[in-house]
Amino acid sequence: MAGALSDLKIIEVGELVSAPYCAKLLADMGAEVIKIERPGAGDRARIRGPFPKDETHPEKSGLYLYLNTNKKGVTLDIAKPEGMQLLEQLVAGADVLVHNVVPPEMDRVGLTWERMRRVNPGLVMTSIAPFGLSGPYRNFRAEDLTVWAAGGVCVLNGGGPDHADLPPLKAAGSQAGYQGGVHAAVATMGAVFAHARGESGQHLEVSVQESIASQLEMTFEYWPYMKMIATRLGQKPLQPVETMQCKDGYIYLCCIEEHQWRNFVAIMGNPQWADEEIFSDRLKRAVNWDALKVFLEEWVGQQTVLDLYRKAQARRVPFAPVSTMGDLLSSEHLRARGFFVEIAQPMAGTHKYPGAPLKYSRTPWEIRIPAPTLGQHNEEIFGRRLGLSSQRLSELKTRGVI
Amino acid sequence: MAKPPLSGIKVCDFTWVWAGPYCTLQLAHLGAEVVRIETKTRPCVTRMLPPWPDGIFDGVNKSGYFNQYNQGKKSLSLNFKHPEAKEIAWRLIKQSDVVINNFAAGVIDKMGFGYEEVKKVRPDIVMISLSGYGNSGPYREYVAYGPAQVPLSGLSALTGYKGFPPMHAGFSYADPNAGAHGAFAILTALYHRYRTGEGQFIDMSQWECAMDVLAEGILEYTMNDREPERVGNRDPFMAPHGIFRCRELPEKVMDVVIDQWASIVCATDDEWARLARAIGKPELADDARFKTFDARKRNEDALEAIITQWTSTRAVAYVVDTLQAAGVAAGACADNKYLCEDPHLAARKYWVELEHPEVGVKRHCGIPWRMSGTPCQVEAPAPCLGQHTDQVLEALGYSGDEVAALRKQGALD
Repeated sequence: MAGALSDLKIIEVGELVSAPYCAKLLADMGAEVIKIERPGAGDRARIRGPFPKDETHPEKSGLYLYLNTNKKGVTLDIAKPEGMQLLEQLVAGADVLVHNVVPPEMDRVGLTWERMRRVNPGLVMTSIAPFGLSGPYRNFRAEDLTVWAAGGVCVLNGGGPDHADLPPLKAAGSQAGYQGGVHAAVATMGAVFAHARGESGQHLEVSVQESIASQLEMTFEYWPYMKMIATRLGQKPLQPVETMQCKDGYIYLCCIEEHQWRNFVAIMGNPQWADEEIFSDRLKRAVNWDALKVFLEEWVGQQTVLDLYRKAQARRVPFAPVSTMGDLLSSEHLRARGFFVEIAQPMAGTHKYPGAPLKYSRTPWEIRIPAPTLGQHNEEIFGRRLGLSSQRLSELKTRGVI
Repeated sequence: MAKPPLSGIKVCDFTWVWAGPYCTLQLAHLGAEVVRIETKTRPCVTRMLPPWPDGIFDGVNKSGYFNQYNQGKKSLSLNFKHPEAKEIAWRLIKQSDVVINNFAAGVIDKMGFGYEEVKKVRPDIVMISLSGYGNSGPYREYVAYGPAQVPLSGLSALTGYKGFPPMHAGFSYADPNAGAHGAFAILTALYHRYRTGEGQFIDMSQWECAMDVLAEGILEYTMNDREPERVGNRDPFMAPHGIFRCRELPEKVMDVVIDQWASIVCATDDEWARLARAIGKPELADDARFKTFDARKRNEDALEAIITQWTSTRAVAYVVDTLQAAGVAAGACADNKYLCEDPHLAARKYWVELEHPEVGVKRHCGIPWRMSGTPCQVEAPAPCLGQHTDQVLEALGYSGDEVAALRKQGALD
């Protein structure tokens, strides 16, 4: 059985995370993806690592290898007229063009919907930009951190009662890019579905800032509804909802409902202090957290993570381990579900990677080929598919077009 | 004008709290008809949570939390203790394209609406379960609450200040992440069904979706057998790369001083030189301590102190505008007030401001994409509990008398 998207052809002009992750989601469901990279250096993700043995090498970057599975790779300088023409030829035979070329660069090289539509009116062109394609911040220089912060999430994290001086804290990794990518994949599939049902091709744009701003839990609405600013500082509204240290690692205590707290108290052997008035409901436990924390730290510090996790879950208390990477790789649950997949790539070797986000009963998620080396499929795509002669290919190479 | 992409697609929505509703919100944004099945005896958790316009809980229709993530959906209120309620749900399922829930594994089967049963009446249904742990494996029945999924996923172990314990993400990140991935999965399955006529079941684990966005940390471990170090806001390949204190707002909000911050990143030596000129210290561009990336990385504490000296006496907007004018990546570290007043988002018409029967017109976050051919827009505010019960029943073929009888029997909660 082929993947759900096995009849789709995608062209990706992507760097780092957002457009590559969007195209990876499509590729891993069966779509053919041709990834276009700049001649010479290629995608910036190639130099970001992590690298095996910390050896920086453009063919060994873990981030690149993860984000570009199931893609064919070509090099092409779309800022050169001959490069743009080749892009047009590729787009003519594609269903989707997904890119994160930033708006000022789109202007400079002439990457426009008008142009792409002329060569393929049925195309879905997905433009992912940090702040979208319009508005006063359209041309802002941006990196993952600055967009994540501008989306409104950093301010919710970090500091805490004891460390109000510390800055707002980003979540680890390129999270803005991932959120831009997955929201772009949703919108792209919407447009692909519309096209399958008879609508024409179209241009869609995805703002990464807006993708983040649309997932701020309840915090955004505190301003329109109550004129309150949501902050990482100050005490939590209810407790215990907190990370705490065990003998062998950290656990996340999570007693949101009263019955969960009562069950936790039972697990602790019903200590006397738990009967104190000041701990009698979740709001009081938050107000008196300083006192409660001392009791809990003492007891939790004697436990092991897995044992407490299992005891809590046996009583329907939603504790979770603060999983280290090692914990994830050795988890019996994830192993039983076959989450991690081994991928062999000739230069970087064989490693385990995060696997399928979803399990389909009919159409498989699968890794068919590893990420491409830089320009690996130039000959196949430009030569055999577009029919360029080997002489023409070497001319283009000399001029730095491919 | 063309219709939105999913017009005519019907979604039977058993979800609640956040992950599931975030998923069906994406489908509603794309134009699907989403009917949320609710009960008055156990309303959606988010209906009971703040913020509320009057600052206190006085009814299940006033929560800004619920009203944000249920825009454009319909609410059908049923009492499942009554056998007729199940019959109504079955009629709804029969005419739906998608059935979705985010209960723990097995719960939907116990309710009688498991995939094996649903498939019998709708072989081509696309059904998805967005559970915390997935539908198989030894922990499949474990309880998953939003905040705990972040540490479970591995994100907390990677996030934090250098030398400090693991931190959170600040919100239940695994929920919307799962919701967005779930919406993508539903769309791929709908596409497959459109081509082949075949439906299918999708088993989604919020935990696994979250690990798919942690590749850098996981690969550090699988490639080098080492737990990544927590490094705060810093980056192994760029410096400066941080969040810097700016001048506080002159006014307090509810007696609280509002601290202000800006993010600043230099990806290249050239950007560093431009930053140095922009803050009036051009000599720093050639200073041996900062001239190259390696030097800046070695002297990052001093580097950050110099930048903080400049930012801390200036307003966020000034810092951002000055650095952007110099070609340096900088942005506000926006809080909810800052976002709500952001001229950029206003210019892009991002906000949704529709009249809601109980809270009036409030600003809500809108759709993060724009389509040129099949435009998407939020058509209605979030529903009041049971607002569409009669309308949905009528569309299912119940007569007015039958609806009245069902209500009298107590089948409509």
